[in-house]
Amino acid sequence: MPLNRSMRLLLPWLLFALLLALPLTDPSSNTVRLLFTTAVWIISSIAWNLLGGLTGQVSFGFAVFYGLGAYTTALMINSGRNPFFAFLGGMGIAVLASFLVGLPTFRLRGPYFAIATIGVGEATRVIMNNLDITGGASGYRIIERTPFRQLEHYYTAVIVVAIALAVSALVVHSKFGLALRAIKQDQEAAADLGVDPYISKLWVHAIAAGLTGIAGGIYARYHAFIYPGDVFAFPTSISILLMPVIGGIGTVWGPVLGGVIFGMVEETLTVKFPNTHLLLYGLLLILIILFEPDGLVGLLRRLSALIKARRSREDSGSNGTDEVLRRRSRVEGR
Amino acid sequence: MTASDYLDLFIKALLLAGIYAAMAVGMTVIYGVMKIVNLAHAGFLMLGAYFAYELYERFHIDPVLGAVLALPAFFLFGIGVHAVLIRWLPKSDTPTLASLLLMFGFWLVLQNLGYLIWGNEESSILMPRTFASLHIGEITIPKVSLIVFGAAVISLIVLQIIFNRSWFGRAMRSLIQNPYAAQIVGVDDRRTSRLSFGLGTAFAGFAGALLSMLYSFNPDFGRPFLLRSFVIIVLGGLESVSGVALGAVVLALLETFSVQVLPASYQPAISFALLVLVLLVMPKGIAGLLQRKRRVA
Amino acid sequence: MKKVLCSVGTYRHCGVARALLVIGFLAFLGGSKPATAADDAITIGIVMPTTGREAKPGQYQKEGVELAIKQLNDQGGIFVREKGKKLPIKEIFYDNGSDSAKAAALVERVMSSDHVTAVIGGYSTALAEAESVMPDRYQTPWLTGGAAATSIYSRGYKYIFGCLSPIALLGSTTAEFLGGLVDQGKLKKGLKVALVVENTDHGVDYVNGVQDWISKHSGYFTVVLSEKFELGGTDFSGLLQKVKTAKADIFLSDAHLQDYITMQRQYLQAGLHHQVISYGARGPEADARKALGAGTDYILAALWWSDKLPYPQVQKFVADYKAMFNRGPDSWYAATAYDAMRILAQSIEAAGSTNGSKIRDALAKAQLKEALIPGGVLKFGSNGQAGYPFLVTQNQPGDKVEIVYPKDAATGSAVAPIP
Repeated sequence: MPLNRSMRLLLPWLLFALLLALPLTDPSSNTVRLLFTTAVWIISSIAWNLLGGLTGQVSFGFAVFYGLGAYTTALMINSGRNPFFAFLGGMGIAVLASFLVGLPTFRLRGPYFAIATIGVGEATRVIMNNLDITGGASGYRIIERTPFRQLEHYYTAVIVVAIALAVSALVVHSKFGLALRAIKQDQEAAADLGVDPYISKLWVHAIAAGLTGIAGGIYARYHAFIYPGDVFAFPTSISILLMPVIGGIGTVWGPVLGGVIFGMVEETLTVKFPNTHLLLYGLLLILIILFEPDGLVGLLRRLSALIKARRSREDSGSNGTDEVLRRRSRVEGR
Repeated sequence: MTASDYLDLFIKALLLAGIYAAMAVGMTVIYGVMKIVNLAHAGFLMLGAYFAYELYERFHIDPVLGAVLALPAFFLFGIGVHAVLIRWLPKSDTPTLASLLLMFGFWLVLQNLGYLIWGNEESSILMPRTFASLHIGEITIPKVSLIVFGAAVISLIVLQIIFNRSWFGRAMRSLIQNPYAAQIVGVDDRRTSRLSFGLGTAFAGFAGALLSMLYSFNPDFGRPFLLRSFVIIVLGGLESVSGVALGAVVLALLETFSVQVLPASYQPAISFALLVLVLLVMPKGIAGLLQRKRRVA
Repeated sequence: MKKVLCSVGTYRHCGVARALLVIGFLAFLGGSKPATAADDAITIGIVMPTTGREAKPGQYQKEGVELAIKQLNDQGGIFVREKGKKLPIKEIFYDNGSDSAKAAALVERVMSSDHVTAVIGGYSTALAEAESVMPDRYQTPWLTGGAAATSIYSRGYKYIFGCLSPIALLGSTTAEFLGGLVDQGKLKKGLKVALVVENTDHGVDYVNGVQDWISKHSGYFTVVLSEKFELGGTDFSGLLQKVKTAKADIFLSDAHLQDYITMQRQYLQAGLHHQVISYGARGPEADARKALGAGTDYILAALWWSDKLPYPQVQKFVADYKAMFNRGPDSWYAATAYDAMRILAQSIEAAGSTNGSKIRDALAKAQLKEALIPGGVLKFGSNGQAGYPFLVTQNQPGDKVEIVYPKDAATGSAVAPIP
């Protein structure tokens, strides 16, 4: 982006402050709800991006962690625990599950890993559908004795988004992040350089699962009713991975943008176009994939590069030959 | 259960395998050649079912004939879809997220078109044949299932012939094995991909038309078949036609017999657990195990 | 990721395309302004599935509500004492796509953003469970003509009202009716029952209702098989084989429309036969008749309503519905939604205001006379759920549907055992 370094560091904090201060402007509860829902999606989007975008391991089974986080939180709140501990509990169970899933499946490569995660996801859903302790297919309800305060949920979500973003930024800019990117590009070469792909994948999987578990827990507490056909469903896994792709896979802010689009646009489409919302949403996906596979972040990057190129052209007086040559070589180099 | 009960169940499972094979074939061709996970497959099945339905309702054309007519119709449709959408996807020898989400978006579009054209009715085709069954002793074989089974076997055989005997089939097989090497030896990958997508879509439409005889359908049709198709092509080895047959048989047997010993509601979990197990133990699928295919580089 | 479309074609085209994309996004984001509550109309939120698995019944329920709204608006609307005049009714409809998270979000949206006076929603149970969390939060009354699982109403929520009798009663009514057949001599005593139900609240409540009656009336029936199946099944061969092995005399199932059609088709293809067949609250649906023809003959259904009920208001409703939608109301879906809207309108008038908690109080005491449902009177119990007797219908050859229970509403007598 055409911003200097200090602006780039300041912007997230500014955004965070704005979000925290939002309630002062007396927003409608619908606005708060939309922001809350978007925040929950953003958390799982950031989480998935760590494993899928950064490390290149595409998982179709993140609903498992979302659902486990949701159910664990629900069970703990119902047995009287403080919601804070319930969220941590959800995270913990999700992390445990990530090891159970990852230990066998990370031995698989590429498409086989992805397909295995589908199997795990669906198997988990069916098992949860039959588990009577958690209500089975009828679902599970959270009964909280304290009255519902929407802002409390809102703040929880916003704070966790900030934490998730911080974790993501930390990972991306650390040596660990470098290792993960190496694994994405070429797992064997990375191993030759001293990275242990298997262990690294397990760890990033754990971080991602933990964040997703908290997202599920936050969701569960707000909606007070969860059932396997919702939190463990395959479409939920798809939604989670859709967001980073829309926003910009592998980047830090891409998942955030993707979450915003998913959280706000999808509902707006359903509301404004009751007969054609599926069509419009599908077309939107198709357009994004075809026109800008690097997602929104890629789009913005190209726009800013455009602006920069224009500016430099004006200065140097070239007639854009460089630009044309650059594009030509990109086409040829496919 | 008596011995004849077991036999009856076994035959039912085989018939089910026929259904599963028919619907998974289309997805296999597309996946094998282009490494695209076609989530819109469910949409093609749905369109195939409605295709047969419209032909039956308006022109009183038998759905079996409708299914045969679906082949060229959907072949052209597939080529059209390829030209408009698929052509632009980057080539890869492993499935990409882009392709997956593109097909997912396309599936949503197809569903909505379905709702706009046919509404949310549960449509179905009712004919005298629907309840007719052959009775061999204690065993009953529904006629429609037998027809679908026969059609599935024929389509698999035809596909196998195409794969092994025609230049097109050879081109497909080479792309399946190694798309880069195939191009080096002169395979026109764009043309072959286009025709393969058309072929895969043709079979999907064919299967959908056949399924219209067995199930009622609405524009949401195809969802449970999608995931099952996946399991089948993994079981079968992801890239071979005979693998599809094997995978279909294994899945159908498992689904049908596991219900006898387990509560029925756990049954899908078994299928998916099997999927994971097969991937872990023999990632090339059962066919790979039997044929010991070796990939070139 | 490699670039796709824009690397071929000219630079200018790509720029325009990208700009359009961004503008399109912003337009959508900006377009989510909340609607302000109209002061000169009563807004009713309708959140129903018109796409997805529950599309068909959801569509009928929506139409039932719309018929009621139209009839009320034809009379000028509802008289609100507070405003001193009749206010017309405006509907705000959202399709929840048969998805429970969406259903809850849309109900919340319609309450908190569109500020509706009341919401009618909740087909079917899972969606209703998710939605039922919202009414108390926003103090907006919520009614459903489509969810009957008792668990929804046992949470102590004050703003939810269900117009369907409990499913457990559905189950026990079925069993009671069968018991009646035994007393009449049509069925023998001690018959064996196979229960095959969908793995949901609905199915579980149904089984409980049936088992409850059976255990209280010993000697009539014994249950030899009790199984649950996942929704959206493609093949029930294995399950039906289990049913065959159990050698039951009576086959009781509880399923949604799609599974009902698939299972019954495979049941007939397998050549199964029982003395009595029932699919819970499914039976006379037109789509099922179209799919299975004579294959639906003799199937019993315990329903919340039938268009064969001999009340004049029922005949009028059917005629009005046909006039507005060019087809008859299928099964019971539209009727209960119609009554839900009517009792809501009545309560708004009784409350004299559009205030949520006043309407809520009025609903708790409300009694809709000339209701369409069996008994002709709709009112809510202390937990918010209505209770009224069920009908049992039987599909009979020649595309007929007869009400066979209770006696005072019967239009025909049951054929049992099935020939």
